Amino acid sequence: MALLDVKDLTISFGGVTAIADLHFEVPESQVYAVIGPNGAGKTTLFNMLSGIYRPNEGSIRFLDKEIVGCQPHQVAQMGISRTFQNLQMFFNMSVLDNVKVGCHLRTRSHLWSAALRLPNILREERQAEAWARETLIFCGLEKYIEMPADSLPYGVLKRVEIARALASQPKLLLMDEPAAGLNDTETVEMRGLIRRISESGVSVLLVEHNMGLVMQVSDRILVIDYGSRLAEGLPEEIQNNPKVIEAYLGGEVQYAV
Amino acid sequence: MKRLGGLSLFALAVALLPFIFPDNYYVTVVAVSAGLHAILAISLNLLMGYAGQISLGHAAFFGIGAYTSAVLTTRYGWNPWPSILVGLAFTGTLAYIVARPILKLKGHYLAMATLGLGIIVHIFIVQMGWLTGGPDGMGGIPTLSVFGWTIDSDERWYVAIGVLLVLVIWLALNIIDSRSGRALRALHGSEVAAEMMGINTAATKTGVFVLAALIASVAGSVFAHQQAFVSPDSFSFFFSIELVTMVVLGGMASTYGAVLGAIILTFLPELLVIFEDYEVMIFGGILMGMMIFLPQGLFIGLKDLLHKLVHKRSNKAKQAASQKENNHGVA
Amino acid sequence: MFDQILQFLLTGITVGSTYALVGLGFAIIYNASDVVNFSQGEFVMIGAMSAVALSAGDSGLPLWLAAIGAVMITMLVGMALQRFAIAPARGASVVTTIIITIGASIFLRGVALVVWGKDLFPLPHFSGEDPISIGNATLLPQSIWVMGGAAALVFGAHYFFNHTTLGKAILACSCNKKAASLVGINVGIMLLVAYAMSAALGAMAGILVTPITFTSYDTGVMLGLKGFSAAILGGMGNPMGAVAGGLLLGLIESLSAGLISSGYKDAIGFIVLLLVLFFRPSGLFGKASVERV
Repeated sequence: MALLDVKDLTISFGGVTAIADLHFEVPESQVYAVIGPNGAGKTTLFNMLSGIYRPNEGSIRFLDKEIVGCQPHQVAQMGISRTFQNLQMFFNMSVLDNVKVGCHLRTRSHLWSAALRLPNILREERQAEAWARETLIFCGLEKYIEMPADSLPYGVLKRVEIARALASQPKLLLMDEPAAGLNDTETVEMRGLIRRISESGVSVLLVEHNMGLVMQVSDRILVIDYGSRLAEGLPEEIQNNPKVIEAYLGGEVQYAV
Repeated sequence: MKRLGGLSLFALAVALLPFIFPDNYYVTVVAVSAGLHAILAISLNLLMGYAGQISLGHAAFFGIGAYTSAVLTTRYGWNPWPSILVGLAFTGTLAYIVARPILKLKGHYLAMATLGLGIIVHIFIVQMGWLTGGPDGMGGIPTLSVFGWTIDSDERWYVAIGVLLVLVIWLALNIIDSRSGRALRALHGSEVAAEMMGINTAATKTGVFVLAALIASVAGSVFAHQQAFVSPDSFSFFFSIELVTMVVLGGMASTYGAVLGAIILTFLPELLVIFEDYEVMIFGGILMGMMIFLPQGLFIGLKDLLHKLVHKRSNKAKQAASQKENNHGVA
Repeated sequence: MFDQILQFLLTGITVGSTYALVGLGFAIIYNASDVVNFSQGEFVMIGAMSAVALSAGDSGLPLWLAAIGAVMITMLVGMALQRFAIAPARGASVVTTIIITIGASIFLRGVALVVWGKDLFPLPHFSGEDPISIGNATLLPQSIWVMGGAAALVFGAHYFFNHTTLGKAILACSCNKKAASLVGINVGIMLLVAYAMSAALGAMAGILVTPITFTSYDTGVMLGLKGFSAAILGGMGNPMGAVAGGLLLGLIESLSAGLISSGYKDAIGFIVLLLVLFFRPSGLFGKASVERV
């Protein structure tokens, strides 16, 4: 059984079809990349997978449960987490608190018991803090733990966002352009991080424009163009697929990191 | 334990004040209403400062609490305590019913809807004269007594409201520093990211809206018993605005900021009374000026200002020092 | 019954015309600077009070001249508000700007209190007080002035924004300040013009309606709220929506005052507004915003 099974997915906005009849399967424990030219509908796809948009047609099954019709927080509960193309950081909080929010689903306390600071709250707070620190260290962010989020550079925030998503212990992590805006060193670090995430048993669905990175980390690749499936396969198959080369500006594909 | 350090310091200051200024009008009368305002501002700050949901109608819940207590104790001869509970139940139910549709709105639309809610409640209080006494209000509300200790003097009210205020600060600090508090701040920071972390944002907004309304309701009941008289003027649109101003003036998302804002806005009119007809104008001018020059609120604003001054001085010192060095070099 | 309803409709449109002008003023300032100006109602009050003051006494100006003077005074107040209260707080949060304009509103009310005291002042009717009969309903000539004046001002504003260079320049500023200044528009001056226009609309509304309603230092508050309601009802940032919202609100209030209860008329107005927002969170004619992630 595939981890994620997408069938006949279609969505349109005001008569313009953004995704048409898309289907693909993400196997367990893999890095699965979705690529395509700008405006191909990749972020729209992510927004449907995470419950933010509701598709007009089609089904999205995750571990054999239907996602279409679920609220984003219900999708998160099923074990999907994500990062965002344009940062969605909680800038009013510290790095540690950002990642502690990621532990929301692993903790249980309520507004009312928190108000009275019952003993179980203290235990839960310690636990959440330990988890958050562990995740931050995993992402190589130990230097920034206590800092306020609005004081950090873009490259660091990208990783904090990943840490926050990982803190919820997802089975599938959707990463929307993790390397966009990063310099070469940061891109290399990001590559390592994606590999470590995948090795830790979390499947990754990756949207990314940096072809070098995609080719190096992905197990399989889906290419979409104008909202439709163009090709799917192993990285080397995609690299040599004439249709794909055609779609990318008449063959100008850059493989350099 | 850092959290409780600040709180104990504050509690100590509240406890010492009447001993430092015995028999002072500003302590026994003005400080008591400042305390109630602070409780209201803290509750509104949970909603506005932390969860980022503006409300221009918070006085409505204060009013419902006050009038429930007033009506039940005077017209039906109830004991004050069950009246307070009924007020809580009533306020909580109303807040729960309106929370979902209202909190779906954003920005100016949310401001308008909450403002409308406040005005609607106010009009009902004025118009339901057979129950509420209409525009003239209603008096003869009995005072409270706690385990036989009757709160029957200004000094005792100071103690009672001081204790209540410290308790509310404690509750607020507890909430902010917990899973639920982080959920509030998260939905302020980015609603979509909060959802993606598994936070049911609609339920969280409803929860904090109801909580803020409940605290306001308690404050309202206490206000009614303390004043022994209520009239619709205390719960008008202007008072809602005043509460928002307290929160923003003190500094959003800071519990002590809200307390500071409440204290300033309660004492300022008292001090401006000497200007008589000019009072309104000066009050408006001060309000405008403070928000223009310290948009982050007094708490953070003053801290930043201090920081800048110190920084400037040290920069100047550095510049002077390096200039000296250069001069030496030339010489 | 039918006559009664006709009467309520006429009253509603008269009141609604005032709300429409205040709402239009809200929309203009909101469009130009993203600020919800809670002191909008004070423009109405200042316009009316200045006209009263300028035309009062034996040495007073004729009404038309006093009106022009009052509108100009209000425009100056509007520009001063922009220059000294809104401009210095550029980049402040929505709530902060709301509080600043509320502070400005309290300040202006305070000034009016000092200058004119707490009395209620009238203005003479523009063309007599003999009611005109329409069927069994009656209409004051002044009501026709209010409706006609409002209609003329609304069409004027519509023409200004759609067919004049200056109007289009202001709209450009509201769309994109940086782009506007790149094509040579002086954004600072455009903002002043927008506030002056908005103030002028408020002042004219005040002068038109004062012969019927009278004025005092605190009439601005409720009118400001009604104008804000009108703008929200129509959909924030849609000037003609604000006009429609104002008329609608006036009609709802007048009908509920007549048919249900005059004490609850404002409450009913706000209840309708809330219901509209529950089903259309961006107002009747506002564009629904799509969240981009």
